[in-house]
Amino acid sequence: MARVKFLCDADRCIECNACVTACKNEHEVPWGINRRRVVTINDGKPGERSVSMACMHCTDAPCAAVCPVSCFYTTADGVVLHSKDLCIGCGYCFYACPFGAPQYPKVGNFGSRGKMDKCTYCAGGPEADSSPAEYAKYGANRLAEGKLPLCAEMCSTKSLLAGDGAIIAEIYKERVMKRGYGSGMWGWKTAYADSPTG
Amino acid sequence: MPGSFSVLRFAVLKPVFAALALLFVLASPAAAQISFKPTAEAVHEDKLLNALKEGDKISGRVSIPDGNAANLIQPAGRDWRDFHRGKLPWIGGITILGMLAVLAIFLMVRGRIRVRAGFSGRTMLRFASFERFTHWLTASCFIILALSGLNVSFGRVLILPLFGPDAFAAMSAWAKLAHNYLAFPFMLGLVIMFLIWIKDNIPGKLDLEWIKQGGGLLPNGKHPPARRFNAGQKGIFWIVIIGGALMSVSGWFLIFPYLLGNVTELQVWTVIHAVVAMCFIAVMLAHIYIGSVGMEGAFDAMGTGEVDVNWAKEHHSLWVEEQEKAGAPSGRSPHAVPAE
Amino acid sequence: MKVFVAALAFAVVAAVGVAMVLSAIQEPSYVAFSTSGARVGDPGHNLTGPT
Repeated sequence: MARVKFLCDADRCIECNACVTACKNEHEVPWGINRRRVVTINDGKPGERSVSMACMHCTDAPCAAVCPVSCFYTTADGVVLHSKDLCIGCGYCFYACPFGAPQYPKVGNFGSRGKMDKCTYCAGGPEADSSPAEYAKYGANRLAEGKLPLCAEMCSTKSLLAGDGAIIAEIYKERVMKRGYGSGMWGWKTAYADSPTG
Repeated sequence: MPGSFSVLRFAVLKPVFAALALLFVLASPAAAQISFKPTAEAVHEDKLLNALKEGDKISGRVSIPDGNAANLIQPAGRDWRDFHRGKLPWIGGITILGMLAVLAIFLMVRGRIRVRAGFSGRTMLRFASFERFTHWLTASCFIILALSGLNVSFGRVLILPLFGPDAFAAMSAWAKLAHNYLAFPFMLGLVIMFLIWIKDNIPGKLDLEWIKQGGGLLPNGKHPPARRFNAGQKGIFWIVIIGGALMSVSGWFLIFPYLLGNVTELQVWTVIHAVVAMCFIAVMLAHIYIGSVGMEGAFDAMGTGEVDVNWAKEHHSLWVEEQEKAGAPSGRSPHAVPAE
Repeated sequence: MKVFVAALAFAVVAAVGVAMVLSAIQEPSYVAFSTSGARVGDPGHNLTGPT
């Protein structure tokens, strides 16, 4: 079974934010929820790099480990999803996530922060695939239609890759060999250290 | 003709300049390769993470107003997860279960602490109704706060298997709301308790003596003299005030996370909140024990406010003397039923 | 007993009062993270639910 991952080639990312726009549009993500974001390191200095960051769908997901109501689950493809019906909006997943993926509709913790929302790898949630209920809660389910996440599809420089972890790692390695340099697969050690395909 | 001359010039000069440039590049020592890659490993994950201090984050620039989004990676989250799923259950288990075990053993070995002279049947007022109100306000909030808090830490392991995910999540959602909202009357109770009881809880030499003599816990049953509050009670007072203050401050930052807006600091406050909570609960279990099962005659102090005179003479002899000198209203006759 | 019940009642009333006050000052993300360059009206409720 394919174990899907994200890979952002920091040397190709031009901070165009097409990935962000694609995600926002595809899932009608409200303002204030940032499923995907582009972070620029060393902005304006030599060695400026941009990285497109969203949920990495980690192998041993820390969000799933700390959730008090255990609302997370990992699909057979390795996608980490959660149930908004069980989520109590406590915010623990945000404390644990190294990548800052969880987002909340409200800012205070009192009452409720609202249900946590995050990148779903365009794989929806526990509701029925491609149903309106699923779209309203979790956004589009492209994986069920056999498509890859839209952020990677829309990347203007093909720096953001999504798909089978082994395949995209191979693509990236070829690139590094061809051009002679590479920053490494950003976040892979943190997210996929325990993944059998590396 | 001028046009053809400039074209010729251009056609000749351009490749000449290019060759010169190439020569220059090739000749200079640093340009062994044609390609040029300044700091190509700028975002190499290992290097950056190794360079980070403990608990720090890698941040960059984002166009999003939320400051948290600028963090590219916060490795401290992994340590926080390890603490909450690894160390904290041990800390909680040892303090709370350990305390329960100690209390059970104490009950078995020492038994219930009795009033040696037996109950006299005469009572005296120990706590006025406002004091009892404050105590029960704080105590009942504490119970719910403790249980809902323990649910966050341990509910997933202990309770979820019993009820299933939907019922457990629904219960946990209510527990979280109760935790958030009852914290405020709890804090109010703490403040009032501090104000009304601080003057009787200042530690003194008498308390040292009391502790040295075993505080009445030892099997010889000797009760060293004490004023209104003995050293044990003063200890409870200060643990409640200081522990409660720590819980309140840490809880305040957790309930208004945007005050800090920094996930690393929030992690520190959750650790403080959790560890202090475990110790606090363990100490309160001891307090509840001694105030109910552990010592006969003790519960009346907070239950009705009136305590048996013999009990008072044994446990708070100096306080009884002070009260009698001040002509404090003595309690009810042995056969009257208290109005409350 | 009366005092104990009174304390419980006070705790519940205080908690409900606090709930109302805090809900009134609660801010949704799209309000909290608006800037002078980006102010948003109601951005829709997909993903975040009806409130």
